[in-house]
Order: sequence, then structure tokens, then C-alpha cells
Amino acid sequence: MEAEVNDVTVNVEGLDVAFGDKKIIHDVSFVVKRGEIVGLFGISGAGKTTIVRVLTCQIDKKHWTGNVTVSNLTPAKKKNHAKILSDTGYVPQLEELNLYYELSPLVNVEVFTSTYGMNKKKAKSVAKELFSILDLPDDTWKKKTKKMSGGEKKRLSMAIGLIHNPSVLFLDEPTTGVDASKRYDILSYLKKLNQKLHTTMFIITHDLEAALICDKTAILREGKLLAFDSPRNLIESLPSKGKIARLAIEALNQDIIDVIKSQPYVKRVLRVGNEVVEILLEDFESDLSRLLQFLFASGIRVNSMSRDQASFRRYFQIRINEEEEKEQAYINLTNEDGGAPE
Amino acid sequence: MSNVSSSNPIPTSCVIVSYDSNTFLNQNNFTQDIELDNYTIPYVDAVNMSESLELVNFFNATEEPYAMETARTMLFNKRIKVIIMIPVDFSELLIWGYPGMLQCVPDAAEIQNIQGILNAVQESVNIFIVANNLTPQFLLEGFEEFAIPPEYNFQFNTYSFMILPIMTFGIALVLSILVIVKEKPIARLLLTPVQRAEILLSKYITYSIILLIQVTLLVISSLGSGLYLAGTIGDLFLALFMLGFTGLGFGLFISSLSKTKTEANQLFFAFFIVIILLSGIFIPIESMPFYLQIIAYMLPLSHGDPMIMGIVTKGTSIFSEHFYWLLGISVVLFIISFLIFLRRKYEV
Repeated sequence: MEAEVNDVTVNVEGLDVAFGDKKIIHDVSFVVKRGEIVGLFGISGAGKTTIVRVLTCQIDKKHWTGNVTVSNLTPAKKKNHAKILSDTGYVPQLEELNLYYELSPLVNVEVFTSTYGMNKKKAKSVAKELFSILDLPDDTWKKKTKKMSGGEKKRLSMAIGLIHNPSVLFLDEPTTGVDASKRYDILSYLKKLNQKLHTTMFIITHDLEAALICDKTAILREGKLLAFDSPRNLIESLPSKGKIARLAIEALNQDIIDVIKSQPYVKRVLRVGNEVVEILLEDFESDLSRLLQFLFASGIRVNSMSRDQASFRRYFQIRINEEEEKEQAYINLTNEDGGAPE
Repeated sequence: MSNVSSSNPIPTSCVIVSYDSNTFLNQNNFTQDIELDNYTIPYVDAVNMSESLELVNFFNATEEPYAMETARTMLFNKRIKVIIMIPVDFSELLIWGYPGMLQCVPDAAEIQNIQGILNAVQESVNIFIVANNLTPQFLLEGFEEFAIPPEYNFQFNTYSFMILPIMTFGIALVLSILVIVKEKPIARLLLTPVQRAEILLSKYITYSIILLIQVTLLVISSLGSGLYLAGTIGDLFLALFMLGFTGLGFGLFISSLSKTKTEANQLFFAFFIVIILLSGIFIPIESMPFYLQIIAYMLPLSHGDPMIMGIVTKGTSIFSEHFYWLLGISVVLFIISFLIFLRRKYEV
């Protein structure tokens, strides 16, 4: 992850966050270049929001250690906070935190731009440009925000996050609460904004589909960064560069899965449906035929088979499972030794 | 209504202004050589014996020509509640067996207390009659001071200057108790370069402008409805605004303190009831236990009510001690609200 200093928007080195005795983030490091979209993925409590709260100056320095810079300024110094916040935008998960529903979109824009010291004329022109990119209908601009649809409010919230042309935009769960058909619209608007404005974007999300627009993805679990790279690189780091065999097996049950797992060249078996498993092999081309022969010999009936490239969703699942297994193995080991885990 | 009687532990403060001379002009030879019995001192003794009255000062008007002016100033400044005047022929009439007469000037700015004041004076008269073996024929002649002129509606005016402070303070509280707790985008605003102090200050400015409009409407509607105003409109306007501004401070303090709207509403009722009860409007502060008096004087209405009452009924200036008390309370409330707001946790 080499990046030229001027090209780096966010740099995090050895970040630890603790509140009292409770450590929330453990030694997290990553570098984000200008214009990249970064997805922060992880289950609840993984530490995604905590990292963003450090980057947006919301956590006092006494609670964290490490070298962190946003637009070459460290949030460790209070004097930098105003400058960092001037150069960053934030789109909260709930629109009600970002919008005054009783005011019109244009007045909402005025409220927020006044905090950045922008003049009204410029603010209005930037707002109109953003509203156009985000397809906010003209007739809604001067009406009360509460009369807008959920999707329009979401897009207005994104526009307000970008109104002062920040270098970095943080988006908290931008697709949460949006119906399936609109989720892709939101993601596509984000990509469109990113390409037009070259804004670095951090997307905190549970929605693994968001990886589709991410240049980099970070996977967090219990405050630890498990992976940070482009989705393609992460998938290709899987055995056989992420090639998977998808088999539909008649009367699939745990015994059959255990039998498949017992083969030394089988790296991982994931049940993805009633009768469907996805299998990662050590050497996909040669091991697939061996596996099929073995299944045939064992009397396991395969109804259909297809080969595919693993998705980011699958990579995430595998990575989290691996960690859980490691943790379980460690607990088992320490229990066998008769001592509590240290 | 507060009745000051012998059972009341708080005596009514008074001064006696005596015009009763101990010399008598002889009608035959126009000399001053005949001295008659003097009943002035026995009456002063009776006042001192009375538990209902507290004699603050005694003036002999024959020696002090400005005695009455001094006494009125004391009444104006609330140092006393009643002036008892002993007329020039007081002793003479009693000696000749005529009914006695005393003149009283009670502080009628607190209309609800007039009867109590006269009752207290009556008790001193009763003591005087018994102690001096007099026939109980006595006349108390009361002159109301700072009273509402007859052309103004008595009931409206009686209640107006009691209700005006409560209304102003209440409006300001209602305006501001939900300002911080209700406004969800504040958390997001804190992720801009704007400072917390600036947010709080902006609230003060915005709601002060709204209060200004409310107070203007209150003053116009009160005067339009026939409020008798002894003072100036400017003083009344400023006094109401100052009291309202303290109310804003109190409201913002409640809003900063509360985590939810329900909590803010509950705190509002709790504080408002206590502030009204201890304001002195319904229960005189002097009759409260000492510790309650201390609390009462820390509360805004305890200063707002007498300040507005003074302007309305006596035409006093706004720049009394009450104004500076309110100013002080406002500053303290702003500082406390700011400190609470500074520590308030916001998460987006």
C-alpha cells in the first residue's frame, strides 16, 4: 500500500481506542488515497463507527493512540478540529439528524453552509448542481423537506454532506432503511458523485453490496482490521484465486458436508441453500474432478454443478468464519490446558 | 390574601408620624402655658407592645417638618408597610371624651395585603384602649397609597400585574425548554467547524428576538385592555423583557439538562411550580421559613414580580436591585447551561 504523501487523504497507523479498561480498536492501520471509495464492513460492534468518530474528531485524544491524519492534519490536536471538519462531510444514517424537516431543502443548505462560512449565492449554486446530479426534482427544492419521499431525503442528506466540497465524505449506513430497488440507486449516485467531484468516501455499512462501488474495503471484527484492500484483491487472495464450485447435492445434510470437508484439497465448504454448497479448492482445475469422483464413489448424488468467482459477500463470510474458528480453537486449547485464556 | 393578626409571627413594619403636640393654645389669652395629658407616647407604647406591628421609626412632625415625606419614601422603598399618622388634636379629643382617630397610609401596591395591615393597626389600638382605660370609640381612617385610580378597572389591574410576570416568564420557558433537546441536527452541526458556544449563543439570539415580539404584544395588549401604568412604557417593556430573558436562560438550562422531551417537560412543570410558589406573588416571602427565603431570592420571579409591580403601581425605575438580580441570574444560568451543553454527549 505505497502511496505518495500528497495523494493520501486519510492515514491511520496503529490506531488503538479504549474507554477505560475496554479496548474498542486494536492496532488498526490503513491508507486511503484521494478520490477512493472505502467501505468499512463488519458486524455490529466491530468498531467501524469508532474509527470514523476518531477521524471526525468526535473522540477525545485521551481515549486513543496512534498516528492518524485526515487531509494531512491530525485529530489529536484540538486546534486542527475546525480545519478537519471544514474539509470533511458527514451523512448520518438517519436523515432526521441531518435535515430540518420543517425547512425547505434550499434553506437546509443555507443553515449548513453558514457553518462553513460560505456565502448564500455560492451555496445556492453548489446546491443546485448537487441536486441536479442527485436528480432531486426542482419542485421539491422550496417545499418543506418533510414532504419529500424517503429516497429524496436520503439524497438531500448526501447533498448537504457534500455542500462545502469536502475532501472526505463519511457516510453512515447510506443504504439502510432503503428498499432493495433503491439501494442500487443510492450506490450508483454515490459513485456518480465520486467520479464527478473526486471526493474520498468512507462508507460504514452492513450492506455487503456496497462493495460493488468500493475501491478499497476494510473488514473489521471486534475492533481488529482483518483485511484492507480492493475487493478484487481480497477475493483473489482466496485459494484458487477465489474460484468456487457450486454444487446442488441431493438430500444435503451436515454429514455430507463433513465428508466433503474431510478431503485434504477442500479448503472450505459453505452451505448457501437447502441443497447447495459452495466449495473452495486448493487447486481448482485439478481438484474439482477429484472431488466429483470422490462424491460419485461415496454415493453422494450431485444434481448440478457450476463454477463461479467468489463474491465479496462470500469473501466476507469466509474471513469472518475463519476468525471465529481460530478463536474457538484458541478457547478449546486453553480449556484443555486447564487455564483461562490470557 | 394575607391577614396579619396577633397569631402571625411576621409583624407589619410601620412608622408613626405624630402631629399631636403636647402644648395647647389657651383660647382665653392665646398663650401656650397649658399642658394637657399627652396620649402620643402611650400609643407608641401600645404599638411596641403589639405583636402585629414592628415600629421602625417615630417622627415628631412638629419638630421634623419633612417627617411625612421621609415616611412616604420608606413606604415607596418597601422598608415599611404602613404609615400611622397621629392627628394634631389626638390627645385633646381623647381627654375631652371624644372618639379617638388615627390615620393610616398602607402600601396598596399589594392590594391583597391592605386588610391585613389595617387589622394589625387595629390590634395596637385595642391595646392602647385597654392600657389607658379609654372608651372603645376609635376611628381608623385609611388612605390608600399607590392605588389604582377609579377610572381604571380595579379587578383587571389587581390581577394584571400579578399575571404579567408569570405570563412573561412562562412564555419564555415554554419557548426554550425544548430548544436543545428537540433539535436532532445539533449532533450533525457539531461535525462542522461551528463551536458549541456559537450554537448556544445563536439559540439565545433567536429566541430573544421571538421574546421581544412576545413582550411587545403583551405590553400592547395589557395597555390596550386598560392597565394602569404609573411608570414608563419603556421601563415596563424592559422589565418584562429582562424577566423573559431570565426565563429563556432557565428554559435553555432545562433543555441542556434533559435527555428527552418528556424529561424536559417534567422538569419544566417541576421548576415552574416551585418558582411560582416561592415568587412571593401568592405567599409573602417574608412569611416563609428562612431557608425557603434564601431559595426564593435565588429565583427569577421573586425579583421580576416586585420589579414589574413597582413600575406598574408606583412608577419606580427598572434599575432597581431586582433588575441586577435578574441580570445576575441570567448570567449564571447561561454559564451553567453552557457548561452542561459542553459536556452533553452527541452521537450521529
